[in-house]
Amino acid sequence: MRDDLKVGVFLCECGGNIADIVDLDKVRQELDVEFVGQFENLCSLNGRKIIRDAIFDHDLDRVVVAACSPISHEKTFQDYVKPLNPYLMDMANIREQCSWVHDDKQKATAKAITLINASIEKVKQSDSVDPIYCQTPDEVAVIGGGIAGMNAALSLAKQGIKVTLIEQSPSIGGHMAKIGKVFSPVKIAEECGMCLLNPILNELVWNENICVLTNTKVIEAERRAGTYNLILEKSPRYVDTEKCIACGKCAEACEVEVPNDWNDNLSTRKAIYRPFGQSYPESYVIDMDNCTKCSNCVKACTMKAIKLRGKPERIPLQVGSIIVATGHKLFDMDKRPEYGYTRYDDVITQSELGRITGVNGPTKGKLLKSNGEVPKRVVMIQCVGSRDEKPDGHRYCSKICCTVALKNANIIKHKYPDTDVLICYTDIRTPGMFEKYYKHTQENEVRFMRGRPGEVVKKGDNFIVRTEDTLKGEFVEIEADMVVLSTAMEPSEGTKEIAEILNVGTTEDGFIKESHPKIKPIATDVQGIFVCGTAHDPKDITDSIMQATAAAAKVSEYNYGGVEIEPFIAEIDTEKCTVCGECIARCKYKSMSIQNDEIYIDPMSCTGCGKCLVGCKQMAIHVNGNIDEKILATIKGVLSKKQDGERMILVFLDNIGYTAADNIGVNRLKYPESIHIIKVISVNRVSPKHIHYALDNGADGVFIGEFPGDLMYDEVERKIQGVKDRISEMGENPDRITFSKVYIPYFSGLARKLTDFDKKIEELDEAEL
Amino acid sequence: MKNIPDKDILLFRSCLVSVEYPGVEASTKFVFDKLGIDYSISEKQTCCTGLGHYSDVFNQIDTSAIGARNFKIAKELGRPNMVMMCATCYAINKKSVKLLNKKDDLREHINKLFDENGLSHLKYEKDDLKPTENIFHVVDILYGKKDKIKDNIKYDLSDYTIATHHGCHYCKVHYEDTIGGVRDPNIMDELIEECGCKTIGWYDHKRATCGTGFRQRYSNPDLSFNATADKMNAIADEDVDILVHLCPNCHIQFDRYQHLIGEREGRNFRAIHLNISQFLALAMGGDLDKVIGQKAHTVPIDSVIKELKEVEK
Repeated sequence: MRDDLKVGVFLCECGGNIADIVDLDKVRQELDVEFVGQFENLCSLNGRKIIRDAIFDHDLDRVVVAACSPISHEKTFQDYVKPLNPYLMDMANIREQCSWVHDDKQKATAKAITLINASIEKVKQSDSVDPIYCQTPDEVAVIGGGIAGMNAALSLAKQGIKVTLIEQSPSIGGHMAKIGKVFSPVKIAEECGMCLLNPILNELVWNENICVLTNTKVIEAERRAGTYNLILEKSPRYVDTEKCIACGKCAEACEVEVPNDWNDNLSTRKAIYRPFGQSYPESYVIDMDNCTKCSNCVKACTMKAIKLRGKPERIPLQVGSIIVATGHKLFDMDKRPEYGYTRYDDVITQSELGRITGVNGPTKGKLLKSNGEVPKRVVMIQCVGSRDEKPDGHRYCSKICCTVALKNANIIKHKYPDTDVLICYTDIRTPGMFEKYYKHTQENEVRFMRGRPGEVVKKGDNFIVRTEDTLKGEFVEIEADMVVLSTAMEPSEGTKEIAEILNVGTTEDGFIKESHPKIKPIATDVQGIFVCGTAHDPKDITDSIMQATAAAAKVSEYNYGGVEIEPFIAEIDTEKCTVCGECIARCKYKSMSIQNDEIYIDPMSCTGCGKCLVGCKQMAIHVNGNIDEKILATIKGVLSKKQDGERMILVFLDNIGYTAADNIGVNRLKYPESIHIIKVISVNRVSPKHIHYALDNGADGVFIGEFPGDLMYDEVERKIQGVKDRISEMGENPDRITFSKVYIPYFSGLARKLTDFDKKIEELDEAEL
Repeated sequence: MKNIPDKDILLFRSCLVSVEYPGVEASTKFVFDKLGIDYSISEKQTCCTGLGHYSDVFNQIDTSAIGARNFKIAKELGRPNMVMMCATCYAINKKSVKLLNKKDDLREHINKLFDENGLSHLKYEKDDLKPTENIFHVVDILYGKKDKIKDNIKYDLSDYTIATHHGCHYCKVHYEDTIGGVRDPNIMDELIEECGCKTIGWYDHKRATCGTGFRQRYSNPDLSFNATADKMNAIADEDVDILVHLCPNCHIQFDRYQHLIGEREGRNFRAIHLNISQFLALAMGGDLDKVIGQKAHTVPIDSVIKELKEVEK
């Protein structure tokens, strides 16, 4: 019988962090268990001995460690309870969620007793389970062939890993291929970007571990036991890359001229074209949207490389991990009509200026206006779409635009010293060595004005740029004959698409979100998927390369180490299962599939949320670890310690919410003692039954918090509403239940919500008296 | 785009319209009737407080309380769709609805005031009205019936040079609900196009304020009139005949002060100023006196519109 299990409780003083507030003597008296131990620092190696000895001496079946948060030391104590199974230990969090959030010693002590009691009841329901280890395949897909993707692929390939580099355009190279010059803040000089890119490109092309697929997109992704099954679609190139020698006779013969997107549409190209001089594959390609199928090129091609017919090809690809390097796009200037970009030819973007000043650009590097003259004054406008709180603007800083403007201003000054260059800035952001380059630019007689122009209008032959000089507090009208806009960086369409296909979380701005902004800046919230470059957030070439090589290192770690998985996942009873597929449709995490006529559950992606349980008519699914019973036992454990007149609120949080709650303690904010937090593996596992039970047995309120980014969020919200409706029907007050969004960073918001909820419950209690 | 109602409308009267340009109201009714819009007017309604609010006479609590009262009237009439002729009424009421729905403490405070003063029947319940679903400007309603405009046009105004001036309080306060662009506002340009006319579209200072700035016109006349002069000059540069407005405040600033600013700038400004409803009413054959209310205008309408040419059917 579970009630007969011998439980040992170990109290940690945490060097006063706990013992100064919680009266541990009192706690010891109140506990009815086989054994109670206490130590100054239980997590130290001495603690291991104390725990292990007690387990042997008292023949303990279960252990409760009342100390800090399981997020800090669960792994430690799971190890310390050996030879017991690690999952027969539970932690009562009496530091982050008790001694650090409460001041009243008496109340804090009572709460500690309640929390420990809840853990005792819970741990009695625990069974031995073994963690699951997964080994993933070594092959990697790198999505996006820009500077980040190329470097990630190269780094992995040099470590002997097979990489498929997937690029949707006809050539790898990305934005860096077209920016013309790059600059070095240390050397204080601009240098040829292509000359730096080319060696990387060559190295990549010659590496046997890398397979480059251009004109190719990922269209489907499925994840199974640490393996990603990708379906790629390769659009036809209409030119055989094996045969084509890039002689260009085809383009000479082609009569269709269209804007050249590689030159930001500032020049034209033919319908059969090579994207740029150093493009790879070294082959022409036909832009079928514009091809008239006149066959002139076919006739001109001596290599017989051109075929005007072709179909997209589907390619399956199996990999163990994925690096997303799908990059950025630039702000749509239709959203800023006041700058006249669409009305006037000589209002251009920094990207276009890069093409114009590039020797391989439309004017062969000459800075010319649309009428063919050299501009007398160029005004650059910073923060177009960045740091912009107006509609359609981005609140973030795009990070590179200050230095891009400085670089382009210097390039203009070198070639055309008589051209006046004025940069209208919000703040110049040139941290580290970049500051030296800023000084250099000032010495180069580039002028600066602090102010964000409101509009650009044409008066006669010239533009008027209207702005406030915010240092002088004066309204200024600047005459100019060329205006250059420093447009914001946004996630590319490819970035948005791949996030959806791979089910990876994004930020509110649509960039791929890292799993932790400080300590996990490369992993995403999906295991085995990593991010680098501007798909992640705005950054420059150097940072992109650093993050790309870091992503490669993370993939290596992953390939070598395998993955340990919490065993609380769904399991199928194949005797009962009819393979109806209902669970596959229900699973939001796409963890279920049919393999060899049986339902297969991917242990890496199953979260144990239990959604599949409800839909299974055969009752053939079971989630390991007695989760239902554990939640109920925890509730009972809390409520059994309720004293007369005490208000008790149960708060259910999953890992994310629990981390936020811990942060309240870490930052020493407060919330009322009535708040009792119960950690669950998924909020979805808190069933109506649990809530009804809690309210019927003494809980004054139930607070359920969920991270809105969780795939189950909407579902849980609906479910809670259902419970509230049912409670109303039964004549009880639905306001005693609340569902709330929680975010790890907004712990202060959570503290406030908990406090407000307590106040509301207090009012309800008073009203109902 | 948001759902635009054509029935259950309370046409919310505006102080400035009634006092300065009654023809705007008459024209709105004339056009609404032509377009088959179901609306009525309530005598119980009060001012939105806008002028006082922006001149620091009424604080937000008073303004929201007045709003709550007017919302109750709309609700009880079964006409929850409040439609404003004035951009300030529009922005003020939309903000009040938002605040009353969102800020529990403000709503409770105001309801308590009602209770204490024997006005419990005015109490506002959360979500009685919704900011996006219930609060509109006349231009929104006209935009919803855009396709019907063509069938009702009697006169051809396409020979005139027409520009639009979109009020700040329509475009720049509640961005999310503004139809036809915020940074490049075009809702009136689109409506005018339905009359078979083409506006000049973008012009210098198109997005700029009229300069009124409520009390600024009186306490900082230089600042106020400089802003108006910028815009008048830009309009004169484009040789505009008719400037179309959607806010009586802007309308006053341009129509009443055009002559004064002309003297100040040493330039003869000649554009006439019509509200979008007046423009539509004119094109639909509304009487210049009884509907358009031309006598209330300072810049005479007939200084530009000398004769009306019927459209060829």
